[in-house]
Amino acid sequence: MLLNPAARDPAARSRLIGALATLAVLWPLFQAAEVKPGVLFDPGNLKVIGNFLAGFLPPETGAEFLGYLGKATLETLAIATAGMALAFVLAVPLAYLASGAGREKTTLNPLTRSLLTLLRGIPELVWALVFVRVFGLGPAAGVLALGLTYGGMLAKVYAEILESVDAAPARALRHNGAGRPLAILYGLLPQASKELASYTVYRWECAIRASVVMGFVGAGGLGQLMDQAMKMLNGGEAASILLAFMVLVFSADGLSGWLRRALDTPPANRASPFGWRSSVLGLALAGSVVASFIFLEIDLKSLLTAEAARSIGEFIAGFFPPDLSADWLAKIGKGIWETLAISVVGTLLAAVAGLLLALPAWRAPFSFLLNTLRSVPELVWATITALAVGLGPFAGALALALHTTGVLGRLYAEALDNAPRPPSNALRLAGAPGGLAFLYGTLPGAAPQLIAYTLYRWEMNIRMAAILGFVGAGGLGQLLYFELSLFHHAQASTVIIAMLALSISVDQASAWLRRCMQ
Amino acid sequence: MTVSTLRRLALKGALVCALAASASLPARAADAVLRVSAIPDEAPTELQRKFAPLGKYLEAQTGMKVVFTPVSDYAAVVESLATKKIDLAWLGGFTYVQAKIRTNGTAIPIVQREEDAKFTSKFITADPTIKSLNDLKGKTFAFGAPSSTSGSLMPRYFLQQAGLNPEKDFKNVAFSGAHDATVAFVAAGKADAGVLNASVWDKLVEAKKVDTDKVRVFATTPPYFDYNWTVRGDLDPALIKKLTDAFLKLDPNNPDDKEIMALQRAAKFIPTKKENYDGIEKAAQSAGLLK
Repeated sequence: MLLNPAARDPAARSRLIGALATLAVLWPLFQAAEVKPGVLFDPGNLKVIGNFLAGFLPPETGAEFLGYLGKATLETLAIATAGMALAFVLAVPLAYLASGAGREKTTLNPLTRSLLTLLRGIPELVWALVFVRVFGLGPAAGVLALGLTYGGMLAKVYAEILESVDAAPARALRHNGAGRPLAILYGLLPQASKELASYTVYRWECAIRASVVMGFVGAGGLGQLMDQAMKMLNGGEAASILLAFMVLVFSADGLSGWLRRALDTPPANRASPFGWRSSVLGLALAGSVVASFIFLEIDLKSLLTAEAARSIGEFIAGFFPPDLSADWLAKIGKGIWETLAISVVGTLLAAVAGLLLALPAWRAPFSFLLNTLRSVPELVWATITALAVGLGPFAGALALALHTTGVLGRLYAEALDNAPRPPSNALRLAGAPGGLAFLYGTLPGAAPQLIAYTLYRWEMNIRMAAILGFVGAGGLGQLLYFELSLFHHAQASTVIIAMLALSISVDQASAWLRRCMQ
Repeated sequence: MTVSTLRRLALKGALVCALAASASLPARAADAVLRVSAIPDEAPTELQRKFAPLGKYLEAQTGMKVVFTPVSDYAAVVESLATKKIDLAWLGGFTYVQAKIRTNGTAIPIVQREEDAKFTSKFITADPTIKSLNDLKGKTFAFGAPSSTSGSLMPRYFLQQAGLNPEKDFKNVAFSGAHDATVAFVAAGKADAGVLNASVWDKLVEAKKVDTDKVRVFATTPPYFDYNWTVRGDLDPALIKKLTDAFLKLDPNNPDDKEIMALQRAAKFIPTKKENYDGIEKAAQSAGLLK
């Protein structure tokens, strides 16, 4: 290129080397995920998908089915709400313990951090199976499983959000003698509250989607109906259920937007900190949590009996010692590799697609597309992608990519929107074209957040990749599903340990990458 | 952002915590309720529909309230029976063996349908090149649920007898989760071939839910013992007798009974016993599904 040295990117060489190294690392993963884009456009496959999607119209509207659908919708809402309430109760103290925020020295609390990893690293499904022993079949197992996994996730993200905001106000407060709780409350929360609130609502939306997984253990809700409809390839029913799902997700989205605006409005000039809005909101929140617990008929007391403890203990004891025979470990190694490949390929495809969809300035059609993509759970996408490319890892990676594109696109758009404007404005004023102003002005400002979101999604996707195996996408999930069904607990235990190890290494790798990029 | 917004947020959080923590709800009354479930070998909504008249009949016969809980996981039914969360369950041959092991041999099979004593599985395909079990090499194959007797264990055992190892000889092995789902998988081309229980296949063919010009049966297994109704071993013996008699009394000449039996696809219920399932247990051991 005929550029003079002054106009050349000074970091070009290191960037090129970095890109090549990344490619070298990723290539075997793409191989393992059996990425074959050609299969997508095979006419036979297109016809099968076409037929299936054509079956979506008209959506099923029979009275009996709508009755099931209404009950399932309520159940899903109740499971998500009750599960989130439990998760929140767990997450607040755990986040306080795990976060380095407001500490004089940023020594992390490794014990709490590892507890969080344990909570998040074991899929909801495994927790649900444990709780089925105590509560019997029903939504209670799902609620507790959600509560534990999401408690772990919320706590981790709360802790990180508190660490990521400007620490100066809290430090100033502490130097003036304030205790840590007060320093966090007055020094960090005001900066972080918007993000915390919107993340919590976002997780609640995720909880609604997670009920798909809960459906597997008979926890009811839309997930169970969806699972059946998709398995039976009953397009009409699937369409109705999907519509119900989307209405739920879009409403949650609206609620989240309303909440953010409410946080932005300056409070009225009056003595009481409680306006009508916060009172109504507080009451509605409390009311819906209580209503959820009542609707699901959850008997919390039976969790605390000696017999419950004994039967949980027995169940867990069955998992020891894990099967560590060479044969089995070889199988697991293959499963780990496949799961890793599915998650990396899925997340990467989604990051590219998400960024492209986040760029256009006219948001409306793209927001709609992104919302549609992410309101369809991965497991449902997997059913469709399995039709498209056949059962196997590629179907799993594509399913992850489709859903994650929706999530990342939305987060990217917000992050780009919030990125500081002066650098790109300055570049534009200095005569740079829009594209360069974006690349060198906006992108560097938003990059840490974009990368954090992507890495975080990768951490979530590794867990999802494991679960996708339940619908035939291969990897560790298929092994776990098979062994758990057959009560081969020693073998299942090895799979769970592998999942945990994988999710811990992914967490570590992602933290390391984040540090490198800063 | 001001202090008062913040305080609002903190107070809201505290309120939610307090409420959630204090939400203790009354325990369900457990007496005089017969809790029933079934392995989800078909769609759970379908099972619920099939069970409704039988449930009413059992209520009348035992004087207890009958509650049916649908599930979508085979293992959950076995687990619930072992932890006394349910009293009566519709189990497959292999799930019964699992339940027997997990309850230390106390679970009792009481009755089964006449046809369950000589049950078979059908291998189906939509691929014209597949004509025998040996043609399955290198194809994708769908079983039902891993712990299904007729959709997984016995077909696997008979494949093994024919010298085929699914994990080595097939290109890809999938578990559809239910018999009707297997048919949907094969019809849609998600799998080249699959296997399901003969009774569900016949039902789907009768109801014209499957296009028999496209999907056809290319092999059938030898007969074996399958489904039964199993009770928890520590149930009151008088109640066990009542339940057994209730099933055996069902008479196809009585119109009410006929409806129940038609939904259960039973010509007649016959008594069954633990020993009937020893063969299944051996097959499971030799197929490596039982360790």
